[in-house]
Parts: sequence; structure tokens; C-alpha cells
Amino acid sequence: MWGTEWPRFEVIKQDTKHSPPQMVGSVHAADLEHALLVARHVFVRRPAAYALFVAPAEAFFHVSQEGLKDLKPSRKEGGAEEPYWVFAKRSHRRSMVYGDLVGRFLAQGPEDAIAQALLQAQGVAFWAVPERLVAGTEPTEEVVESWFAPAKEKTYRLQSYYGLITAKGVENA
Amino acid sequence: MVKLKLGYPEDPDYQERLEEFEARIARGEKIEPGDWMPAEYRRQLIRMISQHAHSEWVGMLPEGAWITRAPSLRRKLILLAKVQDEAGHGQYLYHAAETLGITREEMVEALLSGKAKYSNIFNYPTLTWADVGIIGWLVDGMAIKNQTMLAQCSYGPYSRAMVRICAEETFHHKQGKEAVLLYARGSKKQRQMVQDALNRWWWPTLMMAGPHDTDSPHTPLLLRWGIKTKTNDQVRQEFLNEHVPELLEAGLTIPDPDLRYDEKTGNWIHGPIPWDDFWKVIHGEGPMNRHRLMARRRAHEEERWVREALEAYGKRRLAQAAD
Amino acid sequence: MLEAYLKDALVARITAWADDELILAQRLSEWVGHAPILEEDIAIANLAQDELGHTKVWLGLRQELDGADPDRLVYFRDPLEFQNAVLVELPKGDWAFTMVRQYLFDAYENLWLKEATQSAYAPLAEAASRLLKEERFHLKHSSLWVERLGQGTEESHRRAQEALETLFPYVRQLFQPLPGDEALVEAGVVPDLRALEAPYLEEVTAHLVRSGLRPPEGGYVPKSRQEHTEYLWSLLAEMQSVARWDPEAQAW
Repeated sequence: MWGTEWPRFEVIKQDTKHSPPQMVGSVHAADLEHALLVARHVFVRRPAAYALFVAPAEAFFHVSQEGLKDLKPSRKEGGAEEPYWVFAKRSHRRSMVYGDLVGRFLAQGPEDAIAQALLQAQGVAFWAVPERLVAGTEPTEEVVESWFAPAKEKTYRLQSYYGLITAKGVENA
Repeated sequence: MVKLKLGYPEDPDYQERLEEFEARIARGEKIEPGDWMPAEYRRQLIRMISQHAHSEWVGMLPEGAWITRAPSLRRKLILLAKVQDEAGHGQYLYHAAETLGITREEMVEALLSGKAKYSNIFNYPTLTWADVGIIGWLVDGMAIKNQTMLAQCSYGPYSRAMVRICAEETFHHKQGKEAVLLYARGSKKQRQMVQDALNRWWWPTLMMAGPHDTDSPHTPLLLRWGIKTKTNDQVRQEFLNEHVPELLEAGLTIPDPDLRYDEKTGNWIHGPIPWDDFWKVIHGEGPMNRHRLMARRRAHEEERWVREALEAYGKRRLAQAAD
Repeated sequence: MLEAYLKDALVARITAWADDELILAQRLSEWVGHAPILEEDIAIANLAQDELGHTKVWLGLRQELDGADPDRLVYFRDPLEFQNAVLVELPKGDWAFTMVRQYLFDAYENLWLKEATQSAYAPLAEAASRLLKEERFHLKHSSLWVERLGQGTEESHRRAQEALETLFPYVRQLFQPLPGDEALVEAGVVPDLRALEAPYLEEVTAHLVRSGLRPPEGGYVPKSRQEHTEYLWSLLAEMQSVARWDPEAQAW
């Protein structure tokens, strides 16, 4: 798991206060706190973000639509439950994200959590991760302002900054 | 973690599953990690995606060398952001390959040991500041044609990485074009510098699209499995048709005496490509091959202690959390 | 509006800040493509862009005061005209040197920018609050690194401690007033840097000690911002080389 590249953490990004957290990719980092910081550097170079979450990659249970038929969501009477976050890739449409958060489910295991999520959402791929392994940014104004807002001022990273360019000159956007 | 389901030709149900798999691709469905796939599909994807990731990472070097010399605050910010994006794009692509059960460590080792390939274009040196503009406009112009095609790829994670990359990469192309057009009507030295850069980068750029279709053994399978959706020659043609008229309009001279416009097809037809050069560079005899790998190895070796320090710290934290 | 007698003093003060950011950004830029791991390569390119962006903010503020063109100031001033502190011009060294310097500088910026948000000169107050947002995140990043290097391995600890011994004396230069500062402080335009030195030393010492590092005593402290090292000339020669290569160029 360590090697020369450090462990891998899945990154979950929430663009606005009212949009769903989405799995956007991963980072290699030394620990959760470090992972969260580099996730900001890697995934919030451009607007917009409201919150970021990271969790160890190996903590994610993943199943694609094909594998759903083999899903074994066992539940035992009185078995221990804990909250899971379940993400789904809902369609084959062109997209840059891996999955959207379907919701938070009290479950006895990741397969149980996905089985519960299936009652709400269909999809071509699912992921489940125990909430206790997820670390996130604080939803305070100070964090949003210092972690995420500055990306808005880096307009030179956006194609709209360059306007229409022709051999005769550059028209400002 | 995902468990891959790989099919091999000797499997009893291989033909049947292969037909289902190809039918899915034909319907425009994305293949997700965990779906059944031919082992050869995975092998081809790992080969392509890791090569692509290495290209982004090594590709930071030729342009990165000019960040400290960029001639205005604005250009410096732009170049920093662009080279940074290349690291980011390498990062997204390594991740896409990781979904196929290969680790980034294995891929990095393959690059550093010289086993893995990366795009030939980065084995040429950047001799002047104008190279930065030409790389942005032409090299990235060609890369974008390829990336737009790959955003349609049948493998979900590769397609997602490409969609994210395409959204970011457009600015690379625009900033390069803006600089080149400015220098093409600038001072005498600027005009000379940009023409010289065009002369040196033109043929390597055309070669970036890969060998002609007739010399590209992987292409038919890659097309059948929706890994690629266009051939090398198609991608090259799209690039020419967009860029040739704009370069000419800027008053620049394209270093191909045989270049002509074909009224019938509406295509710009290039003269013979110097493929001997291409094969030499790909086999390690390009001007900068050794230097690019040396730079990557140096960073890897000299900063090994940094990675070890964080590893020690991280492990201690994990142990404390377990107590 | 700013009283005329304060203008020259503020121009000098802003230029010093701008030069600090510029030279630090140049040193950070040298890492791009060569960082210990891909994620940190992206991170250091962010730090460089942010510091360079701050240069633009400060030089923009100066332009409002005296009309000086920011790019002319950056690319056509000679080494002896630069007002940056020695701390930021020292060669980039290893990752420990870069991260310890970044931490020392970020902690200083966080402190004085917070005070500067109260400036009686509104454009300065605004700029400070804009920059402070970004600097808060920088400090998180660099203090995290100092802690991990200090507590990582024997080697990382040794390298971080060595870096600290070279760098620490220079931080005191950051708090030295320029000749015109007194009037600016009196008018409430800029914070009194001298008053911030003690809280700064207390704050960084606490974090360094927590990280297992020992701030050194003594060491050489430059006496004014006119002092530089022999490294500055080469840094500027490289930075200005393209811009000065073609005197006829109207635009880049």
C-alpha cells in the first residue's frame, strides 16, 4: 500500500452548498489531513467548490451494474450498523465524475448499504464507504473563502479569458 | 476495492461474452471497472492510458524550463497554470489506469526504467521563448484532437479523465495561439523567433498523431473496442484543416513545400512525413530522450527521503489511531 | 485619499512587499516539474501562482499611486533596485529548505496581512483581505509540511533543522521598518511591523518546537532591504532574460 507513491485516497467534491458530493478522482498522500490539502490543490484549481472529502481508496466497496446480480447484502437480526455513503454512476452519459452521492444509509455492511440505495437510484456503477473513514473540510465561511474562493480569481486558467483570437488581433472576451 | 473480471480466449464462454461485450460498446455503453472485459482490452488500455499519463508528466519539462524566464507577469502566470495542468492531467490519467488494477508505483517504475513510452514530441528541446507559444497552439492543438476523440472512449474512467482534461485544455491552445499571432506581427526578432519555432515543431507535431493507418497495427482492434474512435490519419487531417489556414493567415510559412489544398475533399494535404526521424526518436535516439528521463529520475531519487519521511509520519499516525 | 507626503513612503513599502512575493514566486517556480510527488508538484505550482498573483496586486496598487508599469518594474529594474528581503532570494535548496522558508514566510504574511486589513487606505485594506484568504490556506499547507518533516525520519528532521538554522535569522529582516514607515504607521496606513515581531516569534517557535525543531539563537540579520546576497543577480538575469533580449518588442 505504501511504496514510493504513498497510499491513494478517493476525492469527493461538492461544487455548491446544494449540489451532491461527487467522486472526482483520487490523490496519493501520506495521511487524511495531507490528502485533503492536496485534493484542494489538484481538484480546485478552477471554480467551484463548497466542500471536499477524502477517504482511503481501499475503504471503498465498488460494484458495477453487471455485478449487482452477485451482490450479497446480508442482514443479521440485531447486527451492528453504521452509516455508509453510497455513490452511483447513473448513466452512460458523457461525464467527468465517477459517481454522485445517493445518500447516507445505516447498514450492516457496504453491500447492505448499496442494496438500500438501489431502492432510490438505478445506475451503472456503485460505491459504498463507511462514513467514519471520511474526512472533510469544515463548512465554515472561513474555509470556503480560503480554500475555494481564490480559484475564482485565477481567470487566466479559463478559456473564456482569451476571447476571440484571429491573425488580425485579439478581441477581449 | 474493485475485482476485475477478465476474459481469456481459452475460456469456454469467451466467444459468447465477447459478443455481449462488443454489443455493449456498439450501443454506446461505457465499460466500468468490475464489468467483464477481455484481458487484451485491459492490456491495451493500461498501455495507452499510462503512456498518456507519462506524456503529461514528462511534458511538463520542455515548457516548464521557461517558467522562470517568461517575459511578462501575465505570461508567467499562464505558463505556470498550464504546466501545472499537465501535472494534473497526468494525475487524472494515472488514476484512470489505477482503476484497472495497476498501481501508480508500477507505472512510474516502468517510466523511470525506460520500459514505458511517452509521446515523442517531448524529446525535442525548447530553444526559445516562442517554442512555448508554438507548443501551446500546435502541439496542444493536436493533443486536443486526440483527447476529444478519447473522451468518447468505451472505458468509463478513461473517458471521464479525458472529459475533465478537455474542459481544462482549451485554454492551453488559446494562450499559445494568442502568443504566436502576437509575435507573428511583432518586432523583427519576435517574427524571426516564432517562424523558427514553427520550422522546428511542424513535423514532430504532425507525427504526434502516430504512424499512418497502414503502419498502425493496434488501430483496428482499438477501433472495434471503442478505445479509439478515429484513426491516426483522421486525427491528423482534422488538425491540418483547422490549423493550416490560420497559420497562413498569420503570415507564417509552413515548412512543407508540398502542402496543398485539395478542392475536391476540402482537405489540406501534407507532403511526405520524415518518418525515419520519428522511429529514431521513439527508439531513444532523439535529442532530449536521455535528458527527460534523467530529470524524472533525479527528482525521484533526490527526493526519495521526502516520500520516506511522510511515509514514516503517516504510519505512525495510523498506529496511533489504531491504539 | 492618501495625503501627498505619504505617497512616496507607501510606494516604497508596497514595492518591498511586491518584491518579496515576486522573488519567492520565482524560487517556487524552479520546482515545477521537479517536486517529490505529482500532487506536490501541482501544489507548489499553486503557491507560485498565488505569490505571483500577489505581486500583481501590490504592483497594481503602486500603479494607482505613481503610474509605474508593473512589467517594467519586474523586468527592467536592476538588482540593486530590488527591495526584497534576503530570506526569499536564497536558492531553493532541498524540499525541507523550501517548505521551512515557505512556513516562515506564510506565518509572517498571515500576521501582518491581518493587521493590514484595518488600513486607513481603503485599497490597501481591500488588497490585504483578498490576499489573506489565500495565505491562510498556504499556512495550513506549509505548517503541515514542517510538522511532517520535523517528525518524519531522522533524515527529514536533520534537513529541516539545517534549513531552519540557515533561514531563521533572516526572518527578523522582514520586521525592519523602511525609512518612511513611521509616518505610514502613524497615519494608520500600514501596520507597525516592529510590534508584530514578538508575537510572530512566539507563534512560529511554538509550532517549530511542536514539530521537534529548534529555532537557532543569533545569526546574521541584514540591516536594511538594500542588502542582498550574490544569488539575486543570477535570479534576475534569468528572470529578465527574454524580456530584455529584444528592446524593440512592444508586447509579450
